[in-house]
Amino acid sequence: MGEVIVITSGKGGVGKTTATANIGTALALSGKRVVLVDADIGLRNLDVVMGLENRIVYDLVDVVEKVCRLKQALIRDKRFEGLYLLPAAQTKDKTAVSPQQMQELCNQLREEFDYVLIDCPAGIEQGFKNAIAGADKAAVVTVPEVSAVRDADRIIGLLASNDIMDPRLIINRLRLDMVKRGDMMDIDDTIDILGIDLLGVVPDDERVVVSTNRGEPVVLDDDSLAGRAYKNIAKRLMGEDIPIMELNTDEGFLARLKRLFNAGKKRAL
Amino acid sequence: MMNHDAVVFKGVRNGIKIYIDSDYSSEDILDTLKRKIEAGKRFFQGSEINLTFTGKKLTAGEQQAIIELVSREINIGSITFDIGKTVYSDPEPVEFFDGIEEGITRFVRGTIRSGQLVSYRGNVVIIGDVNPGGEIIAEGNIVVMGTLRGMAHAGAGGNNKAVVVAFSLQPTQLRIGTVIARPPEGEVVKALYPEIAYVRDGNLVIEPYLPNKGR
Repeated sequence: MGEVIVITSGKGGVGKTTATANIGTALALSGKRVVLVDADIGLRNLDVVMGLENRIVYDLVDVVEKVCRLKQALIRDKRFEGLYLLPAAQTKDKTAVSPQQMQELCNQLREEFDYVLIDCPAGIEQGFKNAIAGADKAAVVTVPEVSAVRDADRIIGLLASNDIMDPRLIINRLRLDMVKRGDMMDIDDTIDILGIDLLGVVPDDERVVVSTNRGEPVVLDDDSLAGRAYKNIAKRLMGEDIPIMELNTDEGFLARLKRLFNAGKKRAL
Repeated sequence: MMNHDAVVFKGVRNGIKIYIDSDYSSEDILDTLKRKIEAGKRFFQGSEINLTFTGKKLTAGEQQAIIELVSREINIGSITFDIGKTVYSDPEPVEFFDGIEEGITRFVRGTIRSGQLVSYRGNVVIIGDVNPGGEIIAEGNIVVMGTLRGMAHAGAGGNNKAVVVAFSLQPTQLRIGTVIARPPEGEVVKALYPEIAYVRDGNLVIEPYLPNKGR
């Protein structure tokens, strides 16, 4: 029996689809049987990132509406034996599927696969509710920006009220140079607010854009830092204990001194 | 609040006022209403009775269902829906909760995240953090055993004597009674020690919390 993991964020554009494609590919690289489910009906992207868009015949809505069998809609990846994609419909919208139907679908898929990764749409409406309906676990993707962290926080609350406890956090697109200068929220700030376990940190990497446009997940690029980070995330999902990539974020002497002085000051709002 | 009744009847000068608790579903409300009317059948017989419903916000459908239910047993003089205010079926609603020294208190374990609201007619203690976008509204004091980054409104009924205490006080906005304040613009100073906020001469002030000082 496989695990169903939803990859979600609340905010759009933080890298849910990229994360889904890369974690899935990395898991398949380790010999696992994996299916990627694109739950973003009407705005499908996962097929493009995987480079499989021209192979789509049937989609998720067809399966749910019993236009075709599940097996017919699953697209086998061109690179890996055990990796499959269930694409979203592009000409329908989120109301084409109900949470119950998604639950049934996930239960069917978990019979066949070790990992079912669901690419959740942005937002907290119907599409989100559908995407999390069948999930056992969740990975919350955020970027180190206040707005994205705020949305991630909301999502963690909503997941908990839907009985998906202890989601794990992926901090995407971290820029080491900016963190060092103190211009970007660092990992500790983010975790401090969200209070959940870290699944991985993915550094900002130009190669992600290149690989996404080419339809080749970046984990296949051995030189890419982001690719390595996704591989580590996949290993952690499989239960391996891999330390988070060491990032040097020492605050400067002046900043520390300033903080020391500010403490103890009486503050009037 | 769930040990309160979903519906509370109260005699007022010109009829009966019926408080509907916001914490209950419409089925619970209709069930309790039916039970109570059945029990007081005799009482309701005879002359025309004016009914005023107050408390939980009801949809048009729910209002219709209530009208149908009560009109079966009661000879209605008039029926009014004065709703939308959050009312816990407090049989003796006070002007505002002023139990600064003592009074009912709600304990919440866990983090209050963005989009979550804790609202209570008493003191509130959060055993966890309050994140940005989360809101705590209490008619009494607010104590956060963690970091307060969201919005907190103590003394929400208009009680300026209420206080807000947190292990780390970094609110997006702070309200006490009728006073509203926000942190100064510019660089945020993270306090690494507990602080207390209260109103002094009409201004909201924050001080390090000193146990031996009490305030």
